[in-house]
Amino acid sequence: MQASLQRISWISRVTFLEAVRQRFFAFLLVLGAAMALSSVSFRVLDFGHGELKFIADFGFGGMFLFGSVLAVVMTAQLFFSEMDNKTALTLLAKPLGRGEFLLGKFAGAWAVLGVFVAVLSGLLGLVLWAREQELMLLAEQTGKVPATFSAGGLAQFALLQWLRLGVVAAIVLAISALARTFLYAVVVGALAVVAGQLQWIAQDAVLKPSESPAYEAVLWLTSRLLPNLQQFNIGDALVLSAGGVEAGAVLSVVLAGVAYVVAYVFLGTLLFRRREI
Amino acid sequence: MSSAISVRHLTKDFRVGLRGLKLRAVDDVSLEIPRGQVYGLLGPNGCGKSTTLKIVLGLVSATAGEVSILGCPSATPEARRRTGFLPEAPYFHKFLTGRELVRYCARLSGVASADVAAAVDDALALAAMTEAADRAVGTYSKGMLQRIGFAQAVVHDPELVILDEPTAGVDPVGASAIGRMIHAMRAKGKTVVLCSHLLGQVEQVCDRVAIMDRGKLVLEGRVEDVLSRRDRHVLTVEAMTPAAREAAEAALAAHGAKVTSVTHPRRSLEDLFRELVTGSRDA
Repeated sequence: MQASLQRISWISRVTFLEAVRQRFFAFLLVLGAAMALSSVSFRVLDFGHGELKFIADFGFGGMFLFGSVLAVVMTAQLFFSEMDNKTALTLLAKPLGRGEFLLGKFAGAWAVLGVFVAVLSGLLGLVLWAREQELMLLAEQTGKVPATFSAGGLAQFALLQWLRLGVVAAIVLAISALARTFLYAVVVGALAVVAGQLQWIAQDAVLKPSESPAYEAVLWLTSRLLPNLQQFNIGDALVLSAGGVEAGAVLSVVLAGVAYVVAYVFLGTLLFRRREI
Repeated sequence: MSSAISVRHLTKDFRVGLRGLKLRAVDDVSLEIPRGQVYGLLGPNGCGKSTTLKIVLGLVSATAGEVSILGCPSATPEARRRTGFLPEAPYFHKFLTGRELVRYCARLSGVASADVAAAVDDALALAAMTEAADRAVGTYSKGMLQRIGFAQAVVHDPELVILDEPTAGVDPVGASAIGRMIHAMRAKGKTVVLCSHLLGQVEQVCDRVAIMDRGKLVLEGRVEDVLSRRDRHVLTVEAMTPAAREAAEAALAAHGAKVTSVTHPRRSLEDLFRELVTGSRDA
């Protein structure tokens, strides 16, 4: 067991080093950071919402958009670079299980996504804190109640986003284990993210009575196979409304996310075992 | 003692195209590769030798037949723990240094952390890569890539080393260096399986050879046995005059033997190249 964990750890380390050297990662990180930092300048476009909410939404949007692109493209690229360059031939000829290889790739990719979320959340927190200080000063002068944000809530939101990107990376790895080309994996992975964002529609439809058993079966299967990626988007409630999330809600989202990660990595391993290198 | 590699009635079919037409890459091949020898696997491109090696290493599944390495089923981690592999035209992560790459492979191969540093140094020395070990792999020449590939294949001191085209694209000096590494492995009692197009090198370093064509094994045996023609003899004579030649032919004819050709011995171009380009390395 310990030897297996060590092998997974070595694969993930090299995967992490490979990923952080990619220009694509740096490009998306800079874009996301620029979006978080520039939100202060764009707050004049706000139509009636609180300033902090506008800044937070801008930051959440950057994290969601660029994080999703990174999770799909980078994860597929990290897998197919090993296949296409045939480094996988060298590695899998060693006493390394296919499951260990895939788990190592996932851990490396997820660590990179963790760096991405941490940097963007840190910057967003900095921008929110700076504006909060200004608003508090203004509120003191005008006698109004100042708007505030929760740093702890932001940390929880960052954790949920990291988990969401982990679910996406696990789905993309499972698709890559089956796919023959990088492009196919990226396209199907992107579709899976969109479907995950819309999964709540299937979930709602399951609850409504239907006369077609086949329709019900498809809906039921879809709502079980695809994770509901919307459930991770509770940033407003966590960051801007103190006590806005019920106790245990975050935990249940975390457990659901972890369950999907485990399931998709397991599925990827099963598919990868059958693949001829 | 079991063979280093035992292949019995191995067949591999690939499905190609949308209709799933069957392409037979390996056709009922049986081989026994003895331990402690250098074994050459020869054949033209597409003859099935690389597919055979991939099945042996568990990278590709067999359609039919059995393969075992050192007595273990070939697809098991235990079999791969005792095997080193250098793939054809190896490619490694460019951002790692040679030493980091060999250390990475040592850890994946199960070398204990306390022994890693010594094992890496030994493998680098064997591959003559000690001086360039701390440079990034991305800066290596083709010959150096093959040598660092050799180092990663032997870092865990395997009993069996499989080399797929180790001299492809390497100049004669580099090929000669790889030949010396193979000799060093044999001197240590290791089994080396060499897949190569350089027939001259295979002839020089291998104890046994197998030749494959269109997925089938067409010849197998000791190099001396398969190359020598027992009904012909070669005499190399110095300072032979026409009179001496006539006398020799008459003496042979008296015993019923006949001289069929008289030529001047030639050295190979490879020997001449190596003689002229002495001490040159591609490091």
